[in-house]
Amino acid sequence: MAMPSREFLWDIFRRFDRDGSGTITANELQQALSNGSWTPFNPETVRVMIGMFDRNNCGAINFNDFGSLWKYVVDWQNCFRSFDRDNSGNIDKDELKQALITFGYRLSDNLVSLLVRKFDRNGQGTIYFDDFIQCCVVLSTLTNSFRTYDTDMDGVIQIHYEQFLTMVFSARV
Amino acid sequence: MAYPGAPGGYPGGQGGGYPGQQPGGYPGGAGGYPGAAPGGYPGGHPGSAPPGGHPGGYAGGHPGSAPPGGHPGGYAGGHPGAAPPGGHPGGYPGGYPGVSPEIQGWFQAVDSDRSGKISAMELQAALVNGQGRTFSDTACALMIGMFDRDRSGTIDMMEFQQLFGYINQWLSAFKGFDRDNSGFIDESELTQAFMQMGYRFSPDFVKFLVAKSDPATKNKVSVDQFIVICVQIQRFTEAFKTRDTEMRGVINIGYEDFMTIALSASV
Repeated sequence: MAMPSREFLWDIFRRFDRDGSGTITANELQQALSNGSWTPFNPETVRVMIGMFDRNNCGAINFNDFGSLWKYVVDWQNCFRSFDRDNSGNIDKDELKQALITFGYRLSDNLVSLLVRKFDRNGQGTIYFDDFIQCCVVLSTLTNSFRTYDTDMDGVIQIHYEQFLTMVFSARV
Repeated sequence: MAYPGAPGGYPGGQGGGYPGQQPGGYPGGAGGYPGAAPGGYPGGHPGSAPPGGHPGGYAGGHPGSAPPGGHPGGYAGGHPGAAPPGGHPGGYPGGYPGVSPEIQGWFQAVDSDRSGKISAMELQAALVNGQGRTFSDTACALMIGMFDRDRSGTIDMMEFQQLFGYINQWLSAFKGFDRDNSGFIDESELTQAFMQMGYRFSPDFVKFLVAKSDPATKNKVSVDQFIVICVQIQRFTEAFKTRDTEMRGVINIGYEDFMTIALSASV
């Protein structure tokens, strides 16, 4: 997606920034985002997003950072919609598997099932938009840290206890 | 190749700087550290035994045999609900034989919608850490998940009784580690805590954990974060140990296996 105009962004920014403070906090962002169900947007995902785009490290997003954040959300939304083949507003295990294959992952059925169980916050065996982002972010973080050690790219790494702990702990982005 | 992308110029190699005395630095060698028994870590078998892997061995005796020193939420001054624990005349129909009136009182105070079940959200509303903040989502979900045997997302009175004991053990352990009574443990207190639990971690790793728990100031860990850290370390350590058959502190692990551990043992 191309970056929308400044006016367009400003309009959205003001609506997100409920208290008119000039920055969007995690709470404000959570309230502004919808996951397609009536449950609150995944707080962990909100935290990740703030962390990614909050360049001043102040725990909130100012207007300068907002464009990138907005683009990020819209890109994910388009991605999500393209995998939600039946337009149900959520993706099931098969749709998730398809999405991950498209991203280049080759995961076993067991692992895909585990992902659905882990990221399905509604207990329905499907994944909503916010949880889909969360799932992809965690998957990519873990994979990147694995790949760092897999210098010969054979899919097996040798690793020390503390390195291992550091890797698995890093997944909580 | 199971994962996307091509090899870039990765740093790779060994991090180095590991404390080498004990293979890997994790507990469970010959020494009888508390909780070394396989499966005895919390989350393995909630309730069937006192949480074995929990730091029961710190100076001051065995938490749990004594009356709960800090009730849930009572650490540094939080009170779940307004109701005093214990005296709830005419509680739930039939009562719960075998569950102390005190715990039944707590249950009713925490069960704010009176459903007879406690959800992670209700638990969260009742638990206050030393900062005056409620326990994190993660901590509450973790604890409900440990004791929720029928996977309903909620816990009943009997499960709550076990959770209650479990939380109290952590609270009193935490108090023991929090030498300066600040309501937090800092890096040196956390280092001490791990030593007493039998872990030998490098200063860098302890620093890393503190920074993870406290992204804002990177210098302190609250009790709920402490519980989450310890439970995860126990789970990951168990997973590592089962693969480290020679006890060298090094394993070979494939991508799928790694991902499965990371995803199923984390919260």
